[in-house]
Amino acid sequence: MKALETSFKKKAMANQWFLILIVVFILSVVAGSVNPRYFLPANISNLLGQISVLSLVACGQTILIISGNIDISVGANIGLSSVIMAMLMRSGVMPWLAALIGILVAIISAFLIGGASILFKAPSFIVSMAAVGVFQGIALFLTQGTIQTVYGQFETLGSTKYFGFLPLLFVIALLGYLVMHFILTHTTLGRSAYAIGNNEKAAFLAGVNVDQKKLIFFSLNGLFVGLAGMLLLSRVGAAQPSTGMGIELQAIGSVVIGGAPMSGGKGNIVGTFFGVLLWGVIGNALNMMRVNPYIQDVIVGLLIIFAVAVSALRLRSEKSSME
Amino acid sequence: MRWTDRGEILSVQNISKRYGDTAALTNVDFNLLAGEVHCLVGENGAGKSTLIKILSGAEQPDNGRIQIFGKEYAHLTPRQALEVGISTIYQDLELITSLTVADNIFLGHEIKRRYGIIDYHTQNRKARELIDSLDVDINESAYVEDLSLAKQQMVQVVKALYTNAKIIIMDEPTASLGIEETKALMDLVRRLASQGMGVIYISHYLGEIFEIGDRITVLKDGRVQAMYNTEEVDLDTVTRSMIGRERSLFYDRQRVAHGNTVLRVHNLSKRGSFEDVSFDLHRGEILGFGGIVGAGRSEVMNAIFGVEPKDGGKIVIHGREVNPKSPWEAIRLGLAMIPEDRKTLGLFDIRSVLENMVIARNEATGLVLDHVKEQEFSKDLVQRLHVVTAGLKQPVGFLSGGNQQKVILARWLLSDAQILIFDEPTKGVDIGAKAQIYKLMVDLVKEGKSILMVSSDMPELMSMSDRIAVVREGRLVTIVDSKQVTEHELLGCFLEVHHDGGVVV
Repeated sequence: MKALETSFKKKAMANQWFLILIVVFILSVVAGSVNPRYFLPANISNLLGQISVLSLVACGQTILIISGNIDISVGANIGLSSVIMAMLMRSGVMPWLAALIGILVAIISAFLIGGASILFKAPSFIVSMAAVGVFQGIALFLTQGTIQTVYGQFETLGSTKYFGFLPLLFVIALLGYLVMHFILTHTTLGRSAYAIGNNEKAAFLAGVNVDQKKLIFFSLNGLFVGLAGMLLLSRVGAAQPSTGMGIELQAIGSVVIGGAPMSGGKGNIVGTFFGVLLWGVIGNALNMMRVNPYIQDVIVGLLIIFAVAVSALRLRSEKSSME
Repeated sequence: MRWTDRGEILSVQNISKRYGDTAALTNVDFNLLAGEVHCLVGENGAGKSTLIKILSGAEQPDNGRIQIFGKEYAHLTPRQALEVGISTIYQDLELITSLTVADNIFLGHEIKRRYGIIDYHTQNRKARELIDSLDVDINESAYVEDLSLAKQQMVQVVKALYTNAKIIIMDEPTASLGIEETKALMDLVRRLASQGMGVIYISHYLGEIFEIGDRITVLKDGRVQAMYNTEEVDLDTVTRSMIGRERSLFYDRQRVAHGNTVLRVHNLSKRGSFEDVSFDLHRGEILGFGGIVGAGRSEVMNAIFGVEPKDGGKIVIHGREVNPKSPWEAIRLGLAMIPEDRKTLGLFDIRSVLENMVIARNEATGLVLDHVKEQEFSKDLVQRLHVVTAGLKQPVGFLSGGNQQKVILARWLLSDAQILIFDEPTKGVDIGAKAQIYKLMVDLVKEGKSILMVSSDMPELMSMSDRIAVVREGRLVTIVDSKQVTEHELLGCFLEVHHDGGVVV
């Protein structure tokens, strides 16, 4: 019994997602009993659509955080790239081409953040924080602060549902998870992300081309951000400079809740998936229970602190047994 | 207050200290008189650091007695050591460089006015008095980071004076100083002694010790080998007593025939680190690099491996001149390096044994990983090198020092390196793993690979190297055949008096 208990404990501690799953389960039971509509296919379908954009952003952030970097300008980057997509569509450019150009803008923006961070040996946290203003400023200048609506022009992505239930958005998000999972576990690029995040100097001495790899991580993040911007535009049908605001914190929160420490060197995409799921479920469940929206923010914040505390404790116990 | 009579102020008797299986100190006796400079000499690892750690309260002895100013202690805590007046000045300075000299002197003992506000005016005035009393040239309101290393050392001394130190321990204070600075610091030490203070002085430079010391205690393998009055002894005798040891510490390695020159280094230079370093390395050879710590050996290796690229000179590999600007480039030229500082420069401690082993090889192959091959490779290496681990997935941080080193060796066995640089290959490694690493190195040269080995472990350097290059103060002074040189001669070469040009041996 004792052995079983410790092995269960070990398992739960080793896989943070297991813990998250329990929280998701409890939340669902409570929300479902307060409001039975919570378990209706329509609500679940809605939930999946809601978390699709966050999923892609969190995927990109995962490889950055694992490699010991971060990009907190992803929200502003979504704003800039989706505004450009919308403006191009409005001016008559074919939607797929407009989306492609917007994605390229997102990639270049993220690449520049990585480049500046490497060139000036500045933490990517600071560089990307400064970039928030730059991206938002450019978006405001381009739009003069107006909303760019594309109703009816770019709806297929956002409105398609398979079997009347599974949103195409979520299928794309799942593909994003799969791609990032493949990169992290099956490529030298992924391996080098863990190595750089764990010990950058040792990675350099082991022959990892650290600067080049970091630029790839940032660009890859840009690609995921651009895709997320495209999905968001299609789902909402309009874009403005403030589109995407705040999503960076949700994405970083999801990655950290999923078990990747901010110090880098650890983490996986399964954890990120459950982090995103928890985020979506909390929001949805609190809504279903008609919790005051202001109080919702408080609850979400407390839950994140709890999750981070768990991951910090886990890391500490691991480190101490290493001594 | 001045001590005019030379009384005993500190003595230790029968002190022993073990770390795991190794005895760092065995039955050590040592004493210090007021107004004397007592020098402590010995090779790297002879036990000097352990002894001063015990005196400064950083370590506790397993047994033995400590007596300070007539009072007896079983052991000291750092706080007690300070309270009885022992101040230790370590090689790596413990000053806050972004604060001023006066701020540093009073750090933790600030002079305050009402409401806890620091009285800078009084602090500066008092600092000035202390500095003047030592007759040194330091501005009390200068920032420490703007001072030379020698002056920073002096600030430490002033700080010790302020805390009422009566016993000052200096651990290699001149290791990174120039000739003039060394002279000034030694003048200061002599002045301290003439004011009645007791100074324990540790240095690799024997010339310095003869100039400054009243007595010399020689430590070897954790025991007191000899104690001399400086006037009654010569350099040769001291050097001789530092060396000579049991045959068992030497590894009896198999010799391998040498082939063509695989690496030629010609006039390699890097400003501030080393100058005009030239040597050849042959196929199947182990070329050792000896010298005292800080002589510039690791810096030469870093230049060859592209970590800190050279300023001048030539590197020729297999007849082709090369100029690696990063390890990534160097590895493609067939080089590999096992760095000295395993923890900060070698290991990915939270990643698995497998990932730590295959990383260099992966970086040289395609984008997609071959998990089956990775498993095979690392399984083979774990067996071949006898790595003790719970499995390939075990984070390498959980392994012992010796096993961690084997994992890093495995990393380079998987690459195609023809020239391997080993920087202190067995530092912090237990004896069992040591022998395995030596055997592996011999296997490598038997396969036709070549090794550059930096080592501060005398038996290791002499028994593993075919030839030994001696580096002193950034210059390669000579290359000797390891079979034609005695430990005594070699040590003399390392230690040559560095400030007055006098030759030791």
